[in-house]
Amino acid sequence: MVNNGFAQRGTVNIEIARKAFSGSKGTLLALKDIVLTINPGEFVCIVGGSGCGKTTLLRIIAGLETEYEGAVFLDGKKLIGTGLDRGVVFQEHRLLSWLTVHDNVAFGLAGLPPQERSRKERSRDIRHYINLVGLDRFEYEYPHQLSGGMSQRVAVARALVGRPEVLLLDEPFASLDALTRMRMQQEILRIWEAERTTVVLVTHDIEEAVYLADRVVIMSPQPGTIRNILPVRLLRPRDRTDREFVRIRKSIHDELFAPRGMTHLAADSF
Amino acid sequence: MSTAEQNRRLVRKGSTAELTAKAPKNIGRIHIPDRLLGWIIPVSVLLVWQLLARLGVLPANWLPAPTIVGQTIYQLTVAGDLLKHVGITIARVGVGFLLGASAGTLFGGLTGYLPVARKLLDPTLQALRSVPSIAWVPLFLLWLGIGETSKITLIALGAFFPVYLNLSLAMRHVDPKLLEVGKLYRLSSFQMVRRLILPAALPEYIVGLRSGLGLAWMFVVAAELLGASSGIGYLMVDGEMTGRAGVILASVILFAICGKTTDWMMNAAGRRLLGHRAR
Repeated sequence: MVNNGFAQRGTVNIEIARKAFSGSKGTLLALKDIVLTINPGEFVCIVGGSGCGKTTLLRIIAGLETEYEGAVFLDGKKLIGTGLDRGVVFQEHRLLSWLTVHDNVAFGLAGLPPQERSRKERSRDIRHYINLVGLDRFEYEYPHQLSGGMSQRVAVARALVGRPEVLLLDEPFASLDALTRMRMQQEILRIWEAERTTVVLVTHDIEEAVYLADRVVIMSPQPGTIRNILPVRLLRPRDRTDREFVRIRKSIHDELFAPRGMTHLAADSF
Repeated sequence: MSTAEQNRRLVRKGSTAELTAKAPKNIGRIHIPDRLLGWIIPVSVLLVWQLLARLGVLPANWLPAPTIVGQTIYQLTVAGDLLKHVGITIARVGVGFLLGASAGTLFGGLTGYLPVARKLLDPTLQALRSVPSIAWVPLFLLWLGIGETSKITLIALGAFFPVYLNLSLAMRHVDPKLLEVGKLYRLSSFQMVRRLILPAALPEYIVGLRSGLGLAWMFVVAAELLGASSGIGYLMVDGEMTGRAGVILASVILFAICGKTTDWMMNAAGRRLLGHRAR
């Protein structure tokens, strides 16, 4: 598997008819009729309030949720379970406290069959991704010695070291302070531009979505459905105070807060 | 130069000792460093004990002075008996602990990883655990005789349960979020155990080993009191039979020293194993 010609790889087709969780209080319909195609190299953000099923959707793509009606395809191939073709970063860094930064990144290759990448290539890749996230000086530090932002960088490097076609991010910056979050947003764009993988990022931060995404998928809860998909055709780096930026942000905001069926009314009101 | 500035300069030089030395003293109060605080009571007790024994308030055959106890230890050492007894006791604890901890590790690992094994074995092991272990002594003596086997079995039994329980529980309680990470990177079941579950369970496993070792020391006392011709416990019984309180006290002190030393060693090994992990 060579990573050139990647421009065409990383197409995600999502066709989920139904995803329900059954608990003690009956079943909860988490997702209903989700149809979405994500293009190779595209940066898609999924926004929505809590309980809209956005994380569930991401977990289905990741292969961590396998009980649902429907299918997800990556480059036309039906996805079953997890795989190294998808890298995942969670809200919590989920690093292994007993491993150094280097070994945590190397953990991303632990399940790769030995014949698939030589030792030399592996150590070169590990170093490459540690450098890419800007942690080359911290290779031998342990997670408890790192700040929140640095830990998330390690998590990103671990997700990328397997050279996935799709990078899945589940509110990756939600637990960081505002300034670190903004820096990490710039960083993830830089990494995306360097790697050109498809990125799907789940967030409840509208501004983050508009700042990052090629397209913003707006979800609404009960049951989780796609309410609208908005393209963001602004040049990067984007200016958060730009008029068009603010307008898009407001329209997503209104979309999220307008009662169901009143979308058009809200959109007309400004 | 202000005091704050002085302090800053000292910190920059990296000399914290100098910093504390120059800190303003509590005038009119006795200042005792924290680490000496714990010594006040034992040292006072020793002094009072020595004084009362010397004055003849405490009968020598009942509670001899600390210096007499020290002398007893010295005499036993010189006679060559002491080293033999201590050596035998340590060997019993060592072998018993090793066997018990190994079995605890094996069963703990099995039941911690395989739910079937847990359902099969845990009820029985828990039932056995509810028997006070000393209650096994007559049976062990009957089955295994008065020799080393019964003693070592008893010690192994004592060491087994904490190791078994801690490892089994820790393996079952590994953060599911970390297990998900293993799943994402497609680890095999073997890799899951070796690279995720065991390292994650390690701190609690070490706690289990430590309490197992503590119990091994408790059980060696029981085993040696109940029938032995050597060991620190035998020394104790001998002291009792011959009415030498000094020997009994010397044995108590030896048990304390040995137990504390091995615990300290185990703790040091544990710290080393846990390395740079956040605690």
